[in-house]
Order: sequence, then C-alpha cells, then structure tokens
Amino acid sequence: MLTQRIAWILWPAFLVACAIEVVFFTLFDPADMQLLGEPLEASRMAIYSVGFFVFWALGAASSFLTCFLQRSPWEVNRCPLPATQRPDGCPKREGPCC
Amino acid sequence: MRGVTRPNPGAPGAPVIPIKAVPAATGGDAEQGLFEVRRKIYPRSVTGWFATWRWALVWFTQILFYGLPWAAWNDRQAVLFDLGARKFYIFGLVFWPQDFIYLTLLLVIAAISLFLFTAVAGRLWCGYACPQTVYTEIFLWIERVIEGDHNARAKLDASPLTGRKFGLKAAKHGAWAALAFWTGFTFVGYFTPIKMLGGEVLSFSLGPWETFWIFFYGFATYGNAGWMREQVCKYMCPYARFQGAMFDGDTLIIAYDQHRGDPRGSRGKKADPKALGLGDCVDCGICVQVCPTGIDIRDGLQYECIGCAACIDGCDQVMEKMGYSKGLIRYSTEHALRENLGLVGIVSRFVRPRTLAYTAILATVVVAAATALLMRVPLKVDVIRDRGAMVREVEDGELENVYRLQVMNATESAHRYRITVEGLPGIRVASEPVIDMAAASTRAFPVRIRLPGAQSSGGSQKIFIGVTAEDGSGIQVREKAVFLSPRKDGNRAP
Ligand code: SF4
Ligand code: SF4
Repeated sequence: MLTQRIAWILWPAFLVACAIEVVFFTLFDPADMQLLGEPLEASRMAIYSVGFFVFWALGAASSFLTCFLQRSPWEVNRCPLPATQRPDGCPKREGPCC
Repeated sequence: MRGVTRPNPGAPGAPVIPIKAVPAATGGDAEQGLFEVRRKIYPRSVTGWFATWRWALVWFTQILFYGLPWAAWNDRQAVLFDLGARKFYIFGLVFWPQDFIYLTLLLVIAAISLFLFTAVAGRLWCGYACPQTVYTEIFLWIERVIEGDHNARAKLDASPLTGRKFGLKAAKHGAWAALAFWTGFTFVGYFTPIKMLGGEVLSFSLGPWETFWIFFYGFATYGNAGWMREQVCKYMCPYARFQGAMFDGDTLIIAYDQHRGDPRGSRGKKADPKALGLGDCVDCGICVQVCPTGIDIRDGLQYECIGCAACIDGCDQVMEKMGYSKGLIRYSTEHALRENLGLVGIVSRFVRPRTLAYTAILATVVVAAATALLMRVPLKVDVIRDRGAMVREVEDGELENVYRLQVMNATESAHRYRITVEGLPGIRVASEPVIDMAAASTRAFPVRIRLPGAQSSGGSQKIFIGVTAEDGSGIQVREKAVFLSPRKDGNRAP
C-alpha cells in the first residue's frame, strides 16, 4: 500500500515536471535568471537539472496533498475497536498478548 | 481494475492434442507489484508474421535511436539539441528558443497523428513502436537467451539460490545494465555532442550532470523494461487510459472470434468438432501464455491489451497444426465481428466522420507547419529603443534616436548585413551600417538614426529598420520602430 501511494505521488508529478521543464526553459533562459537580485552562477545544464527536480518536487507535493485529502473517513477516524480486537488483516491489529 | 482469471489449460485428463498443453506461469510467487498484487508474467516467446513485424520495428526504431547521434552534417552532429547553447540542430536547420512555435506544431502533429492512427487501427503504437514495448521485447530476448524459455525461467525463479542460479541472474542483470547504460549514454548524446561524451566516458572525465542523466535514464530503462514491464502499460501510461475515447465500433482491435471459437474444448486432431459440439478453440491457453500483459483475449477487448498481436501468432500456429483455418484470433472490428464483415467491409469503414475529422485537422496543421518552415527567414531582428535618451538634437539641426538592434543569424555560415532605415524623407543610419556576424550567433548593436529637423512633424513617427544580407542570398528582415521628435509647439518630447 505504501509503495502504491508513493508511486501515485511521484509518477504523475514526474510527467507534469517533464512538460513544465520543456515549456519553462524554452521561454526562460537560465543565463538571464536572477536569484534574490544576484545572477545565478551555475551552468545552464545545472539549472535545467535542478529546475527539473524543483518542478518534480512541486508536483509531488500537490499529489501528496491529493492523496492525503482523499482518504475516506474510515481511514481518518480512529478505529473504535481496541487494537487486539481488530479484524484479521487490519494493519493496525495487534496480537492478543502484550 | 478488472481481474482476469486464467483458464487452466493443463487440466488433468485433457485428451491428447497435438499442442503440448503447458500450465500458464505457475512457478512465480505472487509478488507485491506496484499497484496491486501482481503475479509475475513469463510470456512464452512466439514466432509468426506479426512477431516478425514487431522485430522489424524494434530494429528500425533502435537503429534510428542509437545511430542518429553519430550521424554528421556540416562537420557537426546532425541531430543535436544543444541545451547548453540553447540551439537545436536538426540536419540543415538550426532552431532557437524563438522557434518555439515549431516545437508546438510538431507536438500537435504528433498528437493528432496518434488520434488518427488510434481511431483507425487501435493501439498500433503500443504494440509496435512504443519504447516501453520495444525495450521490454529486447530485455525479454536477453532474458530468454540467458535463462531459457518461459518454463525454464519460472522454474529458475522458484528454485533455491544455487551457484548456477546466481550466475545466470548475474549474467542477465549485467547484460541488462550494459544495454541500459548504452541507452542512457545515447540519450544524453542527443544533448551533448556524443563523440565528446564518448571521450569523456573513456577518460572518466564526465561532468556531474551528464553522469547523473546517463544513469538516471539508464536506470529508468532497466527498471521499466526489466522489472515493471506490463505494469507501465497497465497502471502508469496515460495513453492506455484515454485511448478508449478514440475507439469506436470500426476501430481495428485484436479480437477472438467467439462465434467460431465457442464452445471451447480440447479434442484430438482427427476429431470432428461439430460432432463433439465444439467450436474451433481447443482451449490450449497458448494465447494467454504468449500475452505480455497476462490477459485472456477471449474475454473480449480489455484496456490492458496493448495490441501486440502475439496471441494472433500463437493461435494461428495452433490452428495450423489442427488443420483449421487461421484467424480465430485476428485483427478485426467490433462491427465486423458482429456482422461477419470481410476485409473489404473493414477497410471501407476506415473512412468515417471521426477519421475524416482527424485527417482534416492533421492536414491543416501539417500544411501550416510546412508553410511556416519554408517561409522561415534565418535572421531575426529585435528593435529595442534606448531608454536613456529619447531624442537628441545633434549638429546641423538633425534629430537623433538611438536603438539597440538584437540580431540573430540563424544560418550556419557567417554573414555581413547592411542596416537601412526608411519611412521618413531624409532619414538615415548615422552609425556603422555594415555588421558582421558569425555563424549561428546572436549579437546586439547600437544604432543611431538621424532625421533632418525640417522633416520632423513632431511627436512619434513610424519608421522601418531593415537588415539585409550583403551576399545576395535574399535574407532580409524589416522591423517596425518609432522615431521620436520634439513637439513642434516648442515643448520637448517626453
Ligand atoms: S484461442 Fe487459440 S490459442 Fe487461445 S486457447 Fe483457443 S485455440 Fe488456443
Ligand atoms: S491480448 Fe494479445 S494482443 Fe493483447 S496484449 Fe495480449 S498478446 Fe498482445
């Protein structure tokens, strides 16, 4: 389940980052960019690469929120059953002992 | 997500049929796949007409992909997307970020072509040309050469780790990794001159970002083609999800002919199916075993089907051995299956409002793009007014405006250009009118333009600044600009 969630978060963000990367850096030249009023010192290659990961991270943050907010009430609410009495297969179930 | 149950072709007591019934992929433990519990698929290899086509396309696309960066043109790499210099070289053409529109048009053309192909012939792209299919095919071939056929592989995976198993696995992953590295290297070679890149690899002096992207792309290839395989198509590919929107009853699909095949059942080669009350399907399960996505096409069209036609080849071989006519599984359309249409019926329905609409849009965009490309002038000029001094009175009562000319020579040879100005009587270029520019370069030139004071009507007036190549090549650009003069009532221009 965790792997699936991670994939749901990272994969759509990756696709979107690829698209934004192309559009953004076609329109803006890293050599003309400034960071807090200072020209960026890095090479274009480095800025393209870092930019890609920034876009990816932003997309992932958005996907993360989507995943986080779309959980059903059953996933959000606390289980009314004590941990030992939860049904088989429940990930939060604990054995009867200790 | 639709679960597909596999038939059990190896059911005990099945009468002898000429095809050896092999239980479909039994060995592997269900592994936790990306999105749901996934049973590892060991596709049985298949030969036949469509397999040959698939391999032909593997060769074609990969010779193109691996070979193109090595091709030369005018002493440079023929196809190079030089991101560092922000110039794209494609054979004789040089594109700049300003040529964004062509990239957009290209993408639009690609998208509409995909729509058109999908509406007519279904998932041709997926089955034959998609890199995911192509690399999976190649990786599977390596796996087969090293580990053996699908049964041997399933057995090997189920067996405990021995020296032999370790050796085979190491050899396979080594071969995969080598191919993946070469793929990553080629990919980066489209963005950094590949010969230089090769030299850097050999001398271990690769730049950090190049190293990173080679391994990133290589790792993606290794993971997608070696491990994820059909899961990419099933769960990750957006096209697989929306291709259904382009489908209609006349789209070519890979289909099992239920009328002919059912009821299914095994029988001897000599037996008369009619007498047994059976259709043509001998229920051998070959179509399921060869399927790279692990579905049973006999359950009908499913979004998991990538249209690779492996099941057609597989079933045709069975039909041949049984002495039945081929094509129990074949390319057909929903319409044709329902109404028993032949090839002519299918092909005549390729022309229908949906395909005509796609074709019309595609043709329009292609013509527009081709025209734009043909009329493209390999010289770009931007006129920017000097913001410091608007207008200046100089000697002899002349008025002077200063501009900055951003000139881009988009050809691959050096050029000498002449700057001219027109639009007002007596207007002239007072700075050096002849400029020299290196091949494929951009430069800014200050240009001083003067107008005799008597000719000025005051305020702002339209003028044209021209830049013309001096070599008679006809390369020429005319840009509009504004000439400011002081107002005639004595007030200075702002
Ligand atoms: S459709 Fe063809 S390959 Fe599939 S089980 Fe029937 S006879 Fe075998
Ligand atoms: S059902 Fe047939 S065409 Fe579709 S993916 Fe499986 S083998 Fe390929």
